[in-house]
Amino acid sequence: MSARTRYALERLLLTIPTLLAMSLFVFLLIRLVPGDPVRTMLGFRATPGNVATIRHQLHLDEPLPTQYIAWMGALLHGDLGRDYISHAPLSQLLGEALPVTLELTLLAMALALAVGLPLGVLAATGRGPVRRLTDGFVIAGVSIPDFWLGTLLVLLFAATLEWLPPSGYVAFTSDPVANLRYMALPVLTLAVGEAAYILRTTRGAMEETLGAPFVTFLRAKGLPERAIVFRHALRNASVPIVTVVGIQFGVLLGGAIVIETLFGLPGVGRLTVTAINQRNYTVVQGSVLVIATMFILVNLATDLLYGWLDPRIDEVVER
Amino acid sequence: MSAVSTAVRSVTVRGNRRTRAGAAILAALVLIALLAPVLAPHDPNAIDPSRVLAGPDASHPFGSDALGRDVLSRVLFAYRVSLGVAVGSVLVAMAVGIPLGLLAGYYGGWVDSLLMRPVDLLLALPALLLALSLIAIIGPGSGVALFAIAVIYLPILARVVRGSVLGVKGEAYVIGARARGVSRTGCMLRHVLPNSLGPAVVQASVLMGFAIQIEAALSFLGLGAQPPTPSLGLMLADGYQVLQQAPWADIYPGLAIAITVLAFTLIGDGLRDHFDPRGVSR
Repeated sequence: MSARTRYALERLLLTIPTLLAMSLFVFLLIRLVPGDPVRTMLGFRATPGNVATIRHQLHLDEPLPTQYIAWMGALLHGDLGRDYISHAPLSQLLGEALPVTLELTLLAMALALAVGLPLGVLAATGRGPVRRLTDGFVIAGVSIPDFWLGTLLVLLFAATLEWLPPSGYVAFTSDPVANLRYMALPVLTLAVGEAAYILRTTRGAMEETLGAPFVTFLRAKGLPERAIVFRHALRNASVPIVTVVGIQFGVLLGGAIVIETLFGLPGVGRLTVTAINQRNYTVVQGSVLVIATMFILVNLATDLLYGWLDPRIDEVVER
Repeated sequence: MSAVSTAVRSVTVRGNRRTRAGAAILAALVLIALLAPVLAPHDPNAIDPSRVLAGPDASHPFGSDALGRDVLSRVLFAYRVSLGVAVGSVLVAMAVGIPLGLLAGYYGGWVDSLLMRPVDLLLALPALLLALSLIAIIGPGSGVALFAIAVIYLPILARVVRGSVLGVKGEAYVIGARARGVSRTGCMLRHVLPNSLGPAVVQASVLMGFAIQIEAALSFLGLGAQPPTPSLGLMLADGYQVLQQAPWADIYPGLAIAITVLAFTLIGDGLRDHFDPRGVSR
């Protein structure tokens, strides 16, 4: 077995305890709530009969290990529990919310890459004015809170110019054009900050690579600068860029929580926030579980890709 | 060679200039927060029905909000909450994270595994989601937001310190001190700790900037500071409701956040250039 395969397998195996620990945290979430979570959750609907029924359904009247096993068993069968306020099964609520969040984050990441990557290369190879412009973009992109940027974009594109709707959602399957019109502002809002990070990382990685001895050698060999930048340097600079894109995907999932609430998108983020405000603990559990699982899997994918892209990983593992 | 040294010097100078600019902005903001009761032209919580959504004028330069409260006075007082939560959360995270990273990095082996495994698990959740989960358990509030942000930052700072301790503990002066008969604990506290703090300080200043944003986001979602506390995030949430009639109720608090984050970003960027002039970790 090659060192690289071993690295991939180790990384895969390491995901199992992480997922288990996360599931334990989500499981304990409702049990750590001070007081009686069922009574808090039901509010004015909390008749003694209701409370007893739901306590029993959530296995809260059994010892903790039994509860965890029952909860995990149901989970592995795809049963995430149910929303005790709307009575809908969680798998249905999350099944409707997840595509919205995925569309938002994937489009935002795609836009951020389309802007950040070329600008980063340009900044690393360009002269004074280009550098200063990209510098300004990076600092502004990092400093402006995304949800305030969203507000400003609403003020400009929805309130003043009236080009785009300020909030709402239509499914892509029922009307693709309307869907994209509703998605445009949230995607733009999330993408600006991301593009700044990708730009900064690309610029840093490209600057470092372009200073490396092998680039000097290629220049001495007489290769055109364009070929050096795009064929050789960019490939070598891709490792830190991929890592940052992976890490930032998690940040995007966090950002989506706020942006979905701001723009009224019915995604997992807004589901979580609404559930926390309503103290609807089973829904909080379900959505935290889903977002966290996605985050852990994206991290896993990033690490695997990183191992595949960076041949030096062989040496590190063999050491 | 000279080209390289010039480049290094110019980066360091740029770094210093940025740090100084950031520090100057931050000092002004801290002063504003401290002097808020003196500087504020009006009571931040005074409701004036005659000035509901009134525009900016000489006595209310930032206009008034939906309850007729003076936006400028509220922004000034809100800085206290925002800076307090940001600085407080990072200090708490440092107070726990630095010792953890120091012990894990210096002793290594089973101590390292015992301390860092649980810390790493905190990194397995997206930061904002972790904060939301903690708030879901404890309930909303500024204090809870401070605690939640500290929990998010603890593993980051512990990791950074552990990393630099691993590098420092092999340095000749540390080995020399051990050979001179300095105890392990003495060595760790007197030689390794002070020389490992640089990267943690850089990280802390960047994290404070993000903490301002996270606190504002949590309050914006109704999960941080609770009304009627003047909080920048809450002001943004209220301002968003009246965006078209009174954009000033939203724009000024947002600008206030952006300037604060900018100050921390500049300080962090500058310090990073200073500690790492070749820009390797940029």
